[in-house]
Amino acid sequence: MTLYFVGLAALVAAGLSALLLRHRPALADRSYGLLAGAGCVLAALPAVRVLAGGPAVEGQLGSWAFGIDLLSSAFLLVVLIPGLASALYGARTPSAARMLFVIELAALALVVTARGVIPFLIAWEVMAVLAYFLVTFEHERAEVRRAGLVYLVATHTGTLALLAMFASWAGPSGSLGFDALAARAGTLPGGGAVVLCLALFGFGLKAGLVPLHFWLPDAHATAPSHVSALMSGVVIKMGIYGLFRVVSLLGVPPAWWGWLVLALGAVSAVLGVLWALAQHDLKRLLAYHSVENIGIILMGLGAGVLGISYRVPLVAILGFAGAVLHTLNHALFKSLLFLGAGATYHATGTRDLDRLGGLARRMPLTWITFLIASVAIVGLPPLNGFVSEWVVYRALVGGVTSAGPIRLSLVAVAALALVGGLALACFAKVCGIVFLGAPRSAEAAQGHEADAGMLAPMFGLAAACVLIGLAPALAVGPALAVGGSVARVAVDTAGSGIPEAVTRIGLLSLMLGALLALGSLAWGVLRRRRPTKQAETWGCGYALPTARMQYTASSFAAPLLAAYGPLSGVHETRSRTAFHSHAREIVLEGAILPVWAAVRGALWRLRPIQHGRLWVYLLYLIAVLLLLLLYLAGLVGGAPR
Amino acid sequence: MERLADLVLLLVLLTSFLILGTTRLTTCIRAVAVQGGLLGVLPLVLEPQWSAHTLGLATGTILVKAIVLPWFLTWAIREAAVRREVEPRLGYIASLILGVVAVAVASAVATRLPVPGTHPVLLLATSLSCVIMGLLVLATRAKALIQVVGYLMLENGIYVFGLTSVDRVPFLVEIGVLLDVFVGVFIMGIVVFHINREFDSLDSARLTELKD
Amino acid sequence: MTAGPLLSLGAVLVLAPALPGVATKTKSLLTGRRGAPVLQLYWDLVRLLRKGAVYSTTTSWMFRLAPVAGAVTPLLAAILLPLDGRGAVLQFSGDFVAFAALLALGRFTLILAALDTGSSFEGMGASRDAAFASLVEPALFLCFVVLMLATGRLSLSGMLGAAPAPSLAMVAVSLFFVLLAEASRVPVDDPATHLELTMIHEVAVLDHSGPDLALLLYGAALRMALFAALPVSVLVSRAEWVAPLALAVLVAGMVLVAVAVGIIESSMARLRLSRVPQFLVAASVLASLGVILQLLT
Repeated sequence: MTLYFVGLAALVAAGLSALLLRHRPALADRSYGLLAGAGCVLAALPAVRVLAGGPAVEGQLGSWAFGIDLLSSAFLLVVLIPGLASALYGARTPSAARMLFVIELAALALVVTARGVIPFLIAWEVMAVLAYFLVTFEHERAEVRRAGLVYLVATHTGTLALLAMFASWAGPSGSLGFDALAARAGTLPGGGAVVLCLALFGFGLKAGLVPLHFWLPDAHATAPSHVSALMSGVVIKMGIYGLFRVVSLLGVPPAWWGWLVLALGAVSAVLGVLWALAQHDLKRLLAYHSVENIGIILMGLGAGVLGISYRVPLVAILGFAGAVLHTLNHALFKSLLFLGAGATYHATGTRDLDRLGGLARRMPLTWITFLIASVAIVGLPPLNGFVSEWVVYRALVGGVTSAGPIRLSLVAVAALALVGGLALACFAKVCGIVFLGAPRSAEAAQGHEADAGMLAPMFGLAAACVLIGLAPALAVGPALAVGGSVARVAVDTAGSGIPEAVTRIGLLSLMLGALLALGSLAWGVLRRRRPTKQAETWGCGYALPTARMQYTASSFAAPLLAAYGPLSGVHETRSRTAFHSHAREIVLEGAILPVWAAVRGALWRLRPIQHGRLWVYLLYLIAVLLLLLLYLAGLVGGAPR
Repeated sequence: MERLADLVLLLVLLTSFLILGTTRLTTCIRAVAVQGGLLGVLPLVLEPQWSAHTLGLATGTILVKAIVLPWFLTWAIREAAVRREVEPRLGYIASLILGVVAVAVASAVATRLPVPGTHPVLLLATSLSCVIMGLLVLATRAKALIQVVGYLMLENGIYVFGLTSVDRVPFLVEIGVLLDVFVGVFIMGIVVFHINREFDSLDSARLTELKD
Repeated sequence: MTAGPLLSLGAVLVLAPALPGVATKTKSLLTGRRGAPVLQLYWDLVRLLRKGAVYSTTTSWMFRLAPVAGAVTPLLAAILLPLDGRGAVLQFSGDFVAFAALLALGRFTLILAALDTGSSFEGMGASRDAAFASLVEPALFLCFVVLMLATGRLSLSGMLGAAPAPSLAMVAVSLFFVLLAEASRVPVDDPATHLELTMIHEVAVLDHSGPDLALLLYGAALRMALFAALPVSVLVSRAEWVAPLALAVLVAGMVLVAVAVGIIESSMARLRLSRVPQFLVAASVLASLGVILQLLT
């Protein structure tokens, strides 16, 4: 545990060094990088030890208890690996921003290791407020300020809900340690219904569950890329961590909550990817994809809860394992995607998909990492997204042999399949429009490759994705252990076919990679033996084809979105000579802003009370004082003496 | 026999879905005719011994539901010269999905309804599904003729439900149901023609212009 | 790994290019023509392998990778299917996910290759391909759900070959609809049209030529074979039969399915593009009815 605290201290020192040495940039960058790297590695070591089978550790910081058990260590890796990559990527930002970034990382690490309500909530608030400052980095732009404000309101509403949840859980005189909460869990009314609903609301706001996701797209799109990577990859996972921790402390949640989480997860997944398809801003699209993946994670979580409630231990373990594994995988490939998006923005100056194109030739290394991340996020073999989606599928169908309502969880498989198909379409659109084809504008034509400082963390994350994909047993084993610890059952997978399945998935991925490599080699040799020519793409005889005639992002998504009608949020305006399509955020612009406008309108009627005349305010005081005296004397309602 | 009854009920469900999902009016009418024929065969398949009563019921149902009514509706189409298909208020895909939800709800309810006697679970589920899907068609389609088809589907569902007590209450069920159908279709036929002559359109949304 | 599954796999790999020929021959005979020979695709593949290729200057290595992926992914998906009626070459719990994911990978690279050419025609084909594929996935998985509920087994080798039941008939019909969508046949797509604006799959591979096109055509035939093997395996349980008989029945079933495809192609036109999603949702509806039936019994 001391190693962990030392690591966090080294992280803060990295930020301090960047701040103090800001007049010697080369030295500052090097010390920042070294100290941040050392800090993350040191802090991650205890987590790796626990995941490899070691015992959980405990420690104190002052009067606050911290600890690293299986669940915390998994999420510590989720925090530190993408966190380090983003920190190194953002090494060129001003020193104040770097300082805030590493303190944010330290706060995130403290959130997942806190063992009491007070340290948890303090670290939570620090994380939320620092994230606001990091998001509104370019505060000169109005859209950034607005996004930051919406984010701030949303996160504080969530924190309020969490306060209420912890208060109702601990009771009037209860102790605030997590152990005490777990002990009190059995006595909560309704199986903990109030606690569970407040937890779903509060943590759901942070995680980005539909319809509580409305702050996500603006905040993640307008933040700098490495901050977006941290937000999407790590910060929203804190909501997932909170739900996991509540479930593990509560013991046996009621079945209706499991169905609720499963249903909300499915809805979030489908709507998230649908709305992502409608976007033509690269980072907004990636932000909506985070909503989709949170939906998948929640489907796994829901399946796990159903497994506990209906006493099917294998489903419980698999569901939680799938959720945790997908959390880690998503943190890896979503951060990579955002870093890649940042590289393209850095190179071309635009985030608009319809103005990009042909960047594969100008940024080949960025293209490779982006492609790896895209294949991973769609859940295709041989990468890690396929592994975690397999675990979630396996959890959803695990109830097939047991009688009872848990059989109905199989129907969620259809939602997951639909999500997979839509995600494939979405990322085919992104990769194809941004990197392939010909550049659609002058900015895209002058794109240049990212420098080594940005490429190194991207390649690191990509390597992690490939590793987990080709050797799934490395990740699935610890994930199953984490699942078992949350479900409080021993992990016994004998006879379920799961260990064999995991090794065979690895085998299949290796075969796929080998066959693709060999096939490309063989076909390359064959091609060289045939007469080949280069020519322009066949344009059906058009006289003057231009790059602007290529398919655009909106056109690509149009047939897909047409089947869903108004649900996709696409708003079109046509005139005789122009066509404009725009995707609105349905929940924000359709529900929350109108309600807010109505409330403001109603409150505006009360405006005349505050007119600034001092003597009228004094009259208010006198009137209220008189009323109070009359009340005390018993002449106006109230109690007599 | 049990398998055959299940098969017939399944085909009834499939024809309901065909009505929900197809855009062409003639296909709708043919589907409801096939449904009527299946419903005529149903009592023969449910009872192992065929009494004169069940035979009469079967022939009567086939005659009315599979031959007379569809012919009448086809004649109405020709007279009114209906050509264009109109996109319904609820899209076709949404209708299909809601149809599946209706079948799921109906199945869940059917397993819990305390109906006396023994009959396949699919019977109750099919009847409730047809009722709900018929109501769906009635509520969401714009053309009056498709609404008549929806009404017929509703009646078919009630008829299937009535088959659970066909041995207990001899003639009341059949006559009541058939009379309902006759009255309903005749009224709608008259109304349809009046709409056609007065407003020169079969779009029932224009019925709201009747208010003051 | 015994010889049985490998032999069946080899047989399917060799016989796959004959299936599109059977469909086309059936359609020609029904429309009063003699049509091309059934083995035409084999000759086409040999001819294409001998030809050179023309590459667009806009394309990159992705364009050259897609044909390889288009042939490798159905091959790996085939080793997951129990083609001999008893067990697949590689089987594990939940392998139906890998089956669908492998085919999705092939489709992904193909769409990227289409966008790589920078032509609006390929972009159009790729976009429609992606749109319809996203609606096919739920239907396919719902069919798997019905099979899992019917047999209680979670691997393709256990699911295929259950006792006959009405829900399985619905699954077979739904799988036939999925075949029509995946093999790009009427009513989802018309393989014989020559107008680019009406093509879906054909225009996505418009720019490939020579050996690349050969690989793509073979991959497409293999996908058709796999999706034809699925309904046959669902309807006919071959676990008890001797290996040669099981293989013969599989091949005969696949030929029958191809004939059915040809019959449909000669008797109806392709659906309007806005109606194709309806058709695909109908496949999902059939499969969900199968799920409800299975849950009721």
